[in-house]
Amino acid sequence: MANIAAQRIKREFKEVIKSEEVAKCAIKLELVDDNYTELRGEIAGPPDTAYEGGNFLLEIKVPETYPFNPPKVRFMTRIWHPNISSVTGAICLDILKDQWAAAMTLRTVLLSLQALLSAAEPDDPQDAVVARQYKENLEMFKLTARHWTNVYAGGPNVNPECDEKIKRLIDMGIEEHQARVALSSYNWDLERATEQLFS
Amino acid sequence: MSTTSTSEEVKDNTSREDEGDAPNTKDEDKSNENLLECNICLDTAKDAVVSLCGHLFCWPCLHQWLETRPNRPVCPVCKAAISREKVVPLYGRGSKKQEDPRNKVPPRPAGQRTEPDNNFSGFGFGDGGFHMSFGIGAFPFGFFTSTFNFGEPRPNMPPHGTPQNMEEQFLSKVFLWLALIFIAWLLLA
Ligand SMILES: [Zn+2]
Ligand SMILES: [Zn+2]
Repeated sequence: MANIAAQRIKREFKEVIKSEEVAKCAIKLELVDDNYTELRGEIAGPPDTAYEGGNFLLEIKVPETYPFNPPKVRFMTRIWHPNISSVTGAICLDILKDQWAAAMTLRTVLLSLQALLSAAEPDDPQDAVVARQYKENLEMFKLTARHWTNVYAGGPNVNPECDEKIKRLIDMGIEEHQARVALSSYNWDLERATEQLFS
Repeated sequence: MSTTSTSEEVKDNTSREDEGDAPNTKDEDKSNENLLECNICLDTAKDAVVSLCGHLFCWPCLHQWLETRPNRPVCPVCKAAISREKVVPLYGRGSKKQEDPRNKVPPRPAGQRTEPDNNFSGFGFGDGGFHMSFGIGAFPFGFFTSTFNFGEPRPNMPPHGTPQNMEEQFLSKVFLWLALIFIAWLLLA
């Protein structure tokens, strides 16, 4: 059984390497171990989204029952998205759960994740805080997602205002990421973020 | 089997000749190779079966997929409804020399005629041209035979599932009807 999983990943791996998406640098796939049980994926943030210019690393674990069960995928790069946990990188996507089909491949998974970055589904959230912001204040959500893309995924859009507020909290003895999460969760309201951090 | 398939073959040959020594002949060969790959293991399909939506699998691969999700049986490619009863086994020319795949575990379902409503619901899922190649003769006659819901009189099919005496009774009627249909076909053609 593990045999069919490894053999299929081997074939898929060869196909992905030759695919036009790789040529366009939209997706990437690397082996982590020689048994074909763990891989590293990478997707480029789609153009015209808050994730544009960022590169997002994915941890891909292939179960022994692959392709009859989906691969286990999670974001290693921190990301601000309603369907991805800002804490663990866990992904809420139907094809990685009950909508998986045995003919899907790692290539289709990577492309689906890229599509998820273009079209969030806030009504089926993984991260409730992000989803609420997305629904209540879309501009604030975009600003925050762009900032996270800049800081964690190498995106080009620096936001001096965000950086300044984080620096203020760091000066108060708060760890940088913790400060960013608090400010992001409270729509960059420094006062409320401070209140929450010291309560 | 049917006249449609032969004319398609002729068309295929001519189109290949049209391309002649074009540089993409190799690519075409390659894509033909992929056509025979199982959609689950991505290897050349062994004990091949085809779903009504036209997707090819190894029977062991498809069987395992159906076992993995018994309460949601869908085609692994297009997610059309699928079931053990609604797949068609493919018998290649050399298949007689091989061991009967149905004796292996898991058994591959036998070839059979489907009931009319199944037959038509199948048209919803994709290329209808595929179904033609499995029919006996032209479309309306295929419809008549399928309304009687008999086991297909495949000479190399062992008695499987159905009681022997019932099958014999059915077969005699099937042959009678086939003869009538054949005569009708000859008159019309
Ligand atoms: Zn297979
Ligand atoms: Zn299908």
